[in-house]
Amino acid sequence: MGEYLLEVQDLKTYFKTKAGRVRAVDGVNFAVKPGEKIAIVGESGCGKSVTALSIMRLVAQPPGEYAGGSIYFEGQDLLELPESAMRKVRGGKIGMIFQDPMTCLNPTMTVGKQIAEGLRIHLKLSESEARKRAMALLDQVGIPAVSERIDSYPHQFSGGMRQRVMIAIALACNPKLLIADEPTTALDVTVQAQILELISAVCNEFGTALILITHDLGVVAGVADRVVVMYAGRVVEEAPTEELFKNPRMPYTIGLLESVPRLDDRVHGELKTIEGAPPDLLNPPSGCYFMPRCFFARSICRTRPPLEPLPGNPTHRKACWVDVTDPAEQAYAERRRQRRAEAQRATIEAAASSQAHTS
Amino acid sequence: MGRYIIRRLLQAIPLLFFVSIGMFALIHLLPGGPEAVLFNPHLTAAGRAALRARLGLDDPVPIQYLKWISSALTGNFGFSFVTNEPVITILGRRFPPTLELFASALVLALILAIVIGVVSAVRQGTLTDYALTTISYFGIAMPIFLLGVFAQDIFAVQLHWLPASGTATLGYSFSPVEAFFDHFEHLLLPMLVLAASFIAGWNRYMRSSMIETVKQDYMRTARAKGVGTVSMLFRHALRNAVIPLITVVALDFGAVAGGATITEGVFAWPGMGSLFLDSLDRRDYPVLLAMLMLSAAFVIAFNLIADILYGVMDPRIRYS
Amino acid sequence: MDISERINTTPTREDELDSFLELTPALVQKRRSQGRIILDRFLRNKAAIVGAVFLIVLTIFCFLGPWLTGHNNPNAIDVTNAAASFAGPSLAHPFGTDDVGRDELARVMAGGQVSLLVGLTSMLMAIFIGVTLGAIAGYYGGIVDNLLMRFTDVVLSVPLYLLLFVLSASFSDGTPRSVIILIAVFGWMYAARLVRGEFLALKEREFVLAARTIGVRDFRMMFRHMLPNAIGPIVVNATLLVSTNIILESVLSYFGFGIKPPGASWGNLVSTGQGLVDVDPKLVFIPGLLIFFTVLSLNLVGDGLRDALDPYMTER
Repeated sequence: MGEYLLEVQDLKTYFKTKAGRVRAVDGVNFAVKPGEKIAIVGESGCGKSVTALSIMRLVAQPPGEYAGGSIYFEGQDLLELPESAMRKVRGGKIGMIFQDPMTCLNPTMTVGKQIAEGLRIHLKLSESEARKRAMALLDQVGIPAVSERIDSYPHQFSGGMRQRVMIAIALACNPKLLIADEPTTALDVTVQAQILELISAVCNEFGTALILITHDLGVVAGVADRVVVMYAGRVVEEAPTEELFKNPRMPYTIGLLESVPRLDDRVHGELKTIEGAPPDLLNPPSGCYFMPRCFFARSICRTRPPLEPLPGNPTHRKACWVDVTDPAEQAYAERRRQRRAEAQRATIEAAASSQAHTS
Repeated sequence: MGRYIIRRLLQAIPLLFFVSIGMFALIHLLPGGPEAVLFNPHLTAAGRAALRARLGLDDPVPIQYLKWISSALTGNFGFSFVTNEPVITILGRRFPPTLELFASALVLALILAIVIGVVSAVRQGTLTDYALTTISYFGIAMPIFLLGVFAQDIFAVQLHWLPASGTATLGYSFSPVEAFFDHFEHLLLPMLVLAASFIAGWNRYMRSSMIETVKQDYMRTARAKGVGTVSMLFRHALRNAVIPLITVVALDFGAVAGGATITEGVFAWPGMGSLFLDSLDRRDYPVLLAMLMLSAAFVIAFNLIADILYGVMDPRIRYS
Repeated sequence: MDISERINTTPTREDELDSFLELTPALVQKRRSQGRIILDRFLRNKAAIVGAVFLIVLTIFCFLGPWLTGHNNPNAIDVTNAAASFAGPSLAHPFGTDDVGRDELARVMAGGQVSLLVGLTSMLMAIFIGVTLGAIAGYYGGIVDNLLMRFTDVVLSVPLYLLLFVLSASFSDGTPRSVIILIAVFGWMYAARLVRGEFLALKEREFVLAARTIGVRDFRMMFRHMLPNAIGPIVVNATLLVSTNIILESVLSYFGFGIKPPGASWGNLVSTGQGLVDVDPKLVFIPGLLIFFTVLSLNLVGDGLRDALDPYMTER
């Protein structure tokens, strides 16, 4: 097992559709130490949710399939486990909370019973013991009036409270790892901070490792020790949080960070975006997936870059051939950026002038 | 929730009232209505007048209605034109066979519909599902009287496996145990036919409800907790999926009278349904009126029950 | 610059062409009319096609059959054939004969004519009345709507079969005409409620408001603007109504309240056959199965129409 609680090695999860095979997760590598908190970030559709579901083996097969790689948890490859053993892992060793608290709880079961269910399955508690523990958990996640609330139904709670219940359910059996898939995306901004703090606090208290999945970089900064950046089903960069924010090395990460508006930006400046769109996962190009949108791209990028640590910095890995700190490369990228901006201006002017012509 | 029930009750009462007026009017408008009873060639004019007075046919129709409805509310539906028995007694005598037939068919149908629906949903897309869906479709298209006729012809007349009609074999003296089994044999065919007509529609409803439920997010949460497949099906999915079905069952149960009449007619089962047909034949209007009223009351009552049941079973409505 | 002008300024270089196409994909796709789309979807439904074909064949069988095959007298007794009653299938009598020696094939075809005609005509009547009343109630709302709802509530509270039995026992003379009227009298209520619901929803749509602001009058609004939008559910309902009505007619005839002998309908053919089933079961099964398959086909076609018209069809 070594020092890692979870090791994902070259995970591939594909989906069979009428149009073909979609390579949602196409060779993902990362690892989590016990008690560590990592964040997986990326845009919608980059495969981060599918990665999380794959770890729990919750991907419906068909149409999904685990096409390759391994997921080592406490030394065992989860992909090789029989279903009965996997069921013990789910909820017992690894807990998961999902994005939309409004639909994730069974409307016809009381909250108490839903929490107690995991306790009775994994810890074999009796009904009264489970109930006591459920009440304690509700208290821990910050639900007031626990003795009444335990017999309430999900619809009697607000969104934020429901997410707290979800956290209680996920942590009930004291799992070693908690996976939180966009836990705050569906919540009010004010509640988001509370929920994140709660997740962070309970993980600290019980020494639970955390995989936080989000597309919101602001969320990452406060909670995660390390960040894994995914793009089009692959990991493209990985580093401790502060290092990533200060010293991004992969052009996509740079683009991501630049796109987050800052308080000290000019009020009427444009929002920076990354032009173009992610590749078609049905028929992905060979080579680096980000190449069509990358100003640093060179001909070498037609070969897929491996995920390698930076020279001299083993905790920081990137999947990129180019050294973006090299002034020559930066100049090259700047030249390409300028040429593109000119071409865009020309197109707009051409359209405008022919419009003037005909109108 | 309580307020909702009371509101629905308050809506149901005027409805019942209007139905009673409607039915009363209908019976009186029928050619050969209550007046026809007077066309007895052996009655003298005086006898006819006395009969009219006795039957209350002298009063204007609205008065007759008021008299009828006020006594009906106390359970007095008058007297049969044919046997002079109190209508309520006749109804009481015919009620148990109908109840027996219907209750047993209903219970059987509900259990089987749920089982078949769940199996179909779990094995969605497979041959089993396809076969069950096709059979259900055939069942829905088959009118119940035809199903009864065919079943009777095949199982009773051709194969002699079961008796064709009635509740007991006549002309034999049975020991109590033998009598029980004989009665059961007679019950089997009409009950199965009735149950089959319910199962066909209900199981498809259950199936689609189940498929919808299984897709819900909270099922994924349950799986992420480590809940096993069987438990997921029964504790989580079924609880939610069955709610809309129960509503449909309650509504179908309310419409009992029509199906009862037809089934009892085909199998000569001596319940309320065949009483209706007999009374129609013999122009026994007080009985007909009473039966129309009661069957409408039943429909209205069960519509109400269906609404209430849905509210009770879904906590979202119960506690709001 | 609108689409037509864009066409006239089509660039000719390949690379420009690609980006051009990206901007105006609508030009590249063929536009199919809505009717065509619906027809295609219907034709893809194999079960519905089977149903439709069966119905067509059945109609030809019942209406043209007597003329084509010469079995055109359901009441003729075959005096030439010695073993005339309960005969099995033969060349002269493909469906055999009944208890008094009448040709069963002719009787079945005649019965089919009646059953199909009653089903269809009563549906048309019911739809006509129901759509009109439902449209008015849904469009005007208020008291008119309330009245319609109250009235149909009352009538629909009484089990349909009981009402039909009572009314047909008293008013029907056993001819198709009275049966049609009787069935239509109750059939319109479901259609009316359906149309009323559709109109209530349509009333709130923008195109109604727009039409009203340019002064379209009520009648025109209802029938030229709103009704075409509700036509989908109405057509589906109408198809299924035919099957319901055929069932109603056969139940009525079976119990002796509908078409009365010597008139033939599949319903009363089943009932006379039922009395003789131990002697000759085919007299029950032939008309009975015909009823069943007709209803089945109508249901298949109705479901096919519903799926074809449903814009949000999801996988079953």
